[in-house]
Amino acid sequence: MVQIVISSAGAGGLAEWVLMELQGEIEARYSTGLAGNLLGDLHYTTEGIPVLIVGHHILYGKIIHLEKPFAVLVKHTPGEQDCDELGCESGTRYLVTALIKNKILFKTRPKPIITNVPKKV
Amino acid sequence: MEDYERELYGVEDDDFDSQFAAELEVLAELEGTAALTPSRSLRPAPTMGRPRLTFEEAIAGGDAATHCSPGRPPKGGSGGAKKRQLTADIQGTISLPPTPRIKRSRLEAARRLNFRPDEMEDLLPPDSPTRDIILPPSPEVPAELWGSGPSDTGAEEGCTGASPAARNPVLRRPPVLEDYINVTSTGGDRAFLVLRDDPVGTGVQSPFLDIRWRGHGHGPLDLLGVSFTSLKEKVDSERRQRLLKEAQQLSDTLCSLRAEKVEEEAQPTGAPAEEPAPHQDASEHCLWVDEFAPQRYTELLSDDFTNRCLLKWLKLWDPVVFGQDRPTRKPRPSVEPACGGKEATASSKWKSHEQVLEEMLEAELDPSGRPRQKVALLCGPPGLGKTTLAHVIARHAGYCVVEMNASDDRSPEAFRTRIEAATQMESVLGSGGRPNCLVIDEIDGAPTAAINVLLSVLDRKGPQEAEPGAPAMAAGGGRRRRAEGGLLMRPIICICNDQFAPSLRQLKPQALLLHFPPTLPSRLTQRLQEISQQRGMQADPGALAALCEKTDNDIRACINALQFLHGRGRRKLSIQVVQTTRVGLKDQRKGLFSVWQEVFQLPRAQRRRVGQDPTVPTPTLLLGDGHTGSGALTAEVPLTMASQRFYHILHAAASAGEHEKVVQGLFDNFLRLRLRDSSLGTVCVALDWLAFDDLLGRAAHHGQNFQLLRYLPFLPPAFHLLFATSHVPRIAFPSSQQEAQNRMNRTQNLIKTLVSGITPATRSRAAPQALVLDTLCLLLDILAPKLRPVSTQLYSTREKQQLASLVGTMLAYSLTYRQERTPDGQYVYRLEPNVEEVCRFPELPARKPLTYQAKQLIAREIEVEKMRRVEALARARDGPQVDGGPLGGTGGTGVQPPAPCSHKQRLECVLKGAALEEQLERDFFGRVVVRRAAAVSSEDTAPEPDSAERCMGTAVGRSDVWFRFKEGVSNAVRRGVYIRDLL
Repeated sequence: MVQIVISSAGAGGLAEWVLMELQGEIEARYSTGLAGNLLGDLHYTTEGIPVLIVGHHILYGKIIHLEKPFAVLVKHTPGEQDCDELGCESGTRYLVTALIKNKILFKTRPKPIITNVPKKV
Repeated sequence: MEDYERELYGVEDDDFDSQFAAELEVLAELEGTAALTPSRSLRPAPTMGRPRLTFEEAIAGGDAATHCSPGRPPKGGSGGAKKRQLTADIQGTISLPPTPRIKRSRLEAARRLNFRPDEMEDLLPPDSPTRDIILPPSPEVPAELWGSGPSDTGAEEGCTGASPAARNPVLRRPPVLEDYINVTSTGGDRAFLVLRDDPVGTGVQSPFLDIRWRGHGHGPLDLLGVSFTSLKEKVDSERRQRLLKEAQQLSDTLCSLRAEKVEEEAQPTGAPAEEPAPHQDASEHCLWVDEFAPQRYTELLSDDFTNRCLLKWLKLWDPVVFGQDRPTRKPRPSVEPACGGKEATASSKWKSHEQVLEEMLEAELDPSGRPRQKVALLCGPPGLGKTTLAHVIARHAGYCVVEMNASDDRSPEAFRTRIEAATQMESVLGSGGRPNCLVIDEIDGAPTAAINVLLSVLDRKGPQEAEPGAPAMAAGGGRRRRAEGGLLMRPIICICNDQFAPSLRQLKPQALLLHFPPTLPSRLTQRLQEISQQRGMQADPGALAALCEKTDNDIRACINALQFLHGRGRRKLSIQVVQTTRVGLKDQRKGLFSVWQEVFQLPRAQRRRVGQDPTVPTPTLLLGDGHTGSGALTAEVPLTMASQRFYHILHAAASAGEHEKVVQGLFDNFLRLRLRDSSLGTVCVALDWLAFDDLLGRAAHHGQNFQLLRYLPFLPPAFHLLFATSHVPRIAFPSSQQEAQNRMNRTQNLIKTLVSGITPATRSRAAPQALVLDTLCLLLDILAPKLRPVSTQLYSTREKQQLASLVGTMLAYSLTYRQERTPDGQYVYRLEPNVEEVCRFPELPARKPLTYQAKQLIAREIEVEKMRRVEALARARDGPQVDGGPLGGTGGTGVQPPAPCSHKQRLECVLKGAALEEQLERDFFGRVVVRRAAAVSSEDTAPEPDSAERCMGTAVGRSDVWFRFKEGVSNAVRRGVYIRDLL
């Protein structure tokens, strides 16, 4: 049978991450892909409403508590150096690195940021 | 010609001289010699001794003559014979001209030609009507003037023209002293004619009369062996005879036509009338078939019952067409009584048999008063007189026959037009108010669409039941009942040769189907006898019977053969002639079954014919001389039985047309016959023949050696001579060829799919041929190892290996087992593609098959293995990409970590960059450096917010990442995750 070992590193010191859900797609201007680019800026208003600025769009979202929290696992493949028969058998291990209990959902239509307003209308 | 010459005399120009020099010479000679033989005392002979005249002299003389003595012909002697004879005639009839001197000169010329005026006088009828024609300066004169050719076209013309010309000479100059009229030719020549009285009334002479009395002339001067006049007379009389004969013929034909018509009118008297009088002259031009076609009902040769049925059916139309009640009386009283009487007497007789047809005809009329069957369909082989019967009966019943040929008017539109024209209209002229009866000939040649048109016409339901007497149809005219729009009110008779033509399938249930039995040979022989007697041929009944038999009692073919032989000058018909002549053979297609039957069955014991020797060696094999002797055997040697059979079969097989089918039928059936030869030698010979036929056909069609095709038809005769028995063979339609063809196609397709599925490595060594012959049989054995019927978990390593190799082999040949449901509900696993069909003979016992479980196991293993292979393939393909991906990602993240910064950091970054960019952008004038420095130095503080704002704007606008909103959808993000990636 397939056995996947999941272990948690620290006792209670797990980081808590936030999941961000966007209704739409993030696209890159160039064909180089998204990797290494800055997505945008996330702010919170005074009322606690999250605001995301992506490109010339501004998105207003809300924080949702997940009923089933997620765990962020990191795969640890046993390296070749310690791969004796038993080690291979023990196989891959997963380490819990973070928990996700909330998510920020941006599902409204984004508003454009107009920067180049002519001064004299 | 002479007249012409004569008339032209005064007007002609010089080349006349050269043109008619010879004749002029002869005439001059005549004149000269005639002067030596004076036969009459009052001839003063003024022109004696003048040997030759030129035209100048003639004209001058003529003018002089007119001057001194008007009316004198310019030159008496130079006229032709006819001219002279005319003058002589005139002379003889005491029409002496007022100037006798000149006249006499011409008379003398006439007498010089040895006419005897005294006899002329006697011969002339005193009151010949032609005499009354007084000579005016008639229009004939110009005709003669202008006639450029010799005017011997008609003696009459010449004579009538000549006579006035004799008295009124044509002058070139106007006569001074007398009245004249002038005449201008089309050529512009003007001639003048002297007017003179004709005191006696002598006029134009009839040429025939001339000819008659001229016949008595005898000539002392015969330059030719026979006198010129007599020659001429002979020609004339011949022509006259011919004219008379033609006129006679013409009048005869007219008379006979009239007589026929009269007979036709009088036909229903029913008395067996004579044939129309034979017209010997016309017979050369028309076919005897037409000439001796029956004109009356009683002359019909076809089966009496058929005739009566058709007639009766036609009578059923009477209420609708003629508007009479059922026990009908025809509108034409002459027609009626005979028909009615005959039917009455006959009906009792044929009620007993053929009751079906009877009842059909006795059945009630349908509501519109028409018979149930709107159409009569006559079917039978050609030449039995179907068309003749239809015509005769329709005429007999008082209809006007409108015939259309269905194979000519093929399009449905034309068909409909013709039908409607024939059934709904009526010819005003000629037919005497008879209603039409449509006869559609050769309806089996019509396409189905046209038949459908006919059917729709038949099926039309008039609104008659609802409102009788609705005046819908304009063409209905005065008829009482016939009013409904488009309702078929006229009988239609269809004629076909093949009643099983597919297009007729719809029509047959609605039609009165009358099958034409073959004509009785006795009747046909009798009729042939009559014909040959009338034509003066001697024909003994045996020969005629032979002819009938040869043509299968085809009336048309018999009569045509008779006429043909007659036309070739044979006045005596013998059996020899009948048998050796290649006439009367119909080019008719026989059915395949009949051909096969004829091949396999000996002909019935025929009646012994007279000229034939009855002791003929029983079937000799004509295999050898079949090819060579065909030409040589024909004429001289009387045909033996065997050779006759040979030719008969040869002809039948050739006429069947589809040689392939014929041969297939022979092949399929010849082994089912009772074979007399226990050593199967005949079968071997027959198979040799078949092989030979195949070779020939292949060579002919493959290499386009079409001259080889002529040897193909000899196979059926060979089979006949080999296998024919007197038993009735049971013949099945050949299907083996079709089956074999289908099987071959299926097998080829199987192999093709198999080959296309084989892995390339294997395929390189498996050409289809080698695959079928060498591999597949053994492969099937290889594919059936012994497998323990237990779970694969329990297999030993060796068994596992075996299974794996089996699966590997099957995959290599792309074979698998597929579950199928048999018709009885069981599930079986079949090899797919089923190469077993290819390499196993169905009759042989099958090898021990694998069990259902084993096959199921193998099929599962194959599926799993396939999946594994596909997966492995996919991973092998994806592997490098997957590896490359994370590497790039890590590289990206490696770059990234310094970059991830807060909003401020980025903004600062942007601001810095923007500031730099701003400096760069600022220089829109030429010199960059100085200005920039100045600008920066000058506006160090003031434009700061502005530039920052702007920078931010550009930063926001120009970010490398942007967001595209998707409205209304929430696509759940799904991504396949393999366990193998997690492990």
